[in-house]
Amino acid sequence: MDYVKRNHQIANSYYNLGLEKAQIRDLSGAAECLKKSLHFNKYQTDARNLLGLIYYEMGEAADAIVQWVISLNLQPKDNRCDYYLDEIQRKQGRLEIASQNVKKYNQALWYAQTGIYDLAILQLVAAVEENDHYVKAQLLLALLYMAQENYTKAGKALHKVLQIDRGNQKALWYMSIVKENTGRAEVERQKMDHAFSHTKLEDDNIIIPPTYKESSGAQVVLNIVIGVVLGIAAFMTLVMPARTKELNNAHNQEILSYSEQLSQSNIKIDELESQLAEANGARENAEASLASVVDDNGGLVSQYVLLVRVLQAYRDDDFSTAAQLYSDMNPALITDPNVVPILQTISQDMAEEGYQVLDQMGDAAAGSGDYAGAVAYYDKSLKLKGDNPGVLYDKAVALNAQGQQDTANELFGEIIKNYPDSEYAVMAKEIRGY
Amino acid sequence: MINFDEEIKRFKPSLDVEQVEDAIVKSDLTDMTDIMMELIKQER
Repeated sequence: MDYVKRNHQIANSYYNLGLEKAQIRDLSGAAECLKKSLHFNKYQTDARNLLGLIYYEMGEAADAIVQWVISLNLQPKDNRCDYYLDEIQRKQGRLEIASQNVKKYNQALWYAQTGIYDLAILQLVAAVEENDHYVKAQLLLALLYMAQENYTKAGKALHKVLQIDRGNQKALWYMSIVKENTGRAEVERQKMDHAFSHTKLEDDNIIIPPTYKESSGAQVVLNIVIGVVLGIAAFMTLVMPARTKELNNAHNQEILSYSEQLSQSNIKIDELESQLAEANGARENAEASLASVVDDNGGLVSQYVLLVRVLQAYRDDDFSTAAQLYSDMNPALITDPNVVPILQTISQDMAEEGYQVLDQMGDAAAGSGDYAGAVAYYDKSLKLKGDNPGVLYDKAVALNAQGQQDTANELFGEIIKNYPDSEYAVMAKEIRGY
Repeated sequence: MINFDEEIKRFKPSLDVEQVEDAIVKSDLTDMTDIMMELIKQER
């Protein structure tokens, strides 16, 4: 069976040729090759499946289904067309649309062949709107447009056909006629002439780019203005932000530096204020110490002065003056070990006799009607010896005589309370009316 | 130039989906091998 093998070889060759043409989108050429392949070997499944695909791509869904069904019958297993058929049948609407499109085309063809061109065009426009890959409809539409000398629309339809099927002989022929009638053919011819012409360039020739145009004065000014605006915009968007940031950083650093200096100055001020407060405290202490030394009444110097005057009174044998002066002293302030023994002698003498002398002086003053002076003497006497109800009674009487009944009554009450067994308590009770 | 009427006549109707079964039945699947086998049978 050598001829069987030979037939298969020829079929395969045609299939390969058809496949190559299909890959470069020469669909009609590929379809012819595939048909020849199947004439030599009807079992060439790939060729039949590819032929179906080409029919489907060109809008002939029914022809595609015929080829795929035959293919599946001849080779039920491991057949790619099974997938194709499944895809078509999966969406019911797709097959229905294809059927409607075919009906529109067939109707349009009948209209065209009976001279009803307008209706034919309407049907074809509807068909290609639904499926712009319907090559046969596009070709008939282009022919009808050409018959109406509407070459622009015809050219568009043919352009679409040639996008789908580059080798479609009828489309190429129609397109050549369209180009002739629109002047497009002449333009393309000139382009081809220019493209393949070889004019030698001379030294004086200037090559001007096709986009080059001489600018007028206004255009030059406008271009300069646009350039300036773009420059400013670029400066504002690219340079200014960086410059502003740099300045802000510098200012921030400067502010930080000033803040540090200010804070150090504040620390120094606080230290100085603290030192000033300490100095003021020291000064006040010193002033207080000095005041305590020089104070007329309680100061240390005053105490020594009084001591000297007491000693002078002793020397003059004036015990009453000595007692008065001593009563004004604060012996505790005198701590000089050389003076303390002298002071102790005087203190002992005053404790024994001084208070009595002062009491007598108070009595004398009261007797002369000087109750204020009497009260002063009694106070001094009490300072030397506080535990003395007689002097307290005399002072209360003097105060009473002065009209200071409240103070006097307090003293009478003190005598009654502290010295209840004394004669002065009895007299105080009598005065108070108990 | 195109002879419009002649050109229109060259267009054939498309196969409708509803006619697929008939088309398959009527398909001539005879290939070159079948023809040669038939010729050989006749010679014998």
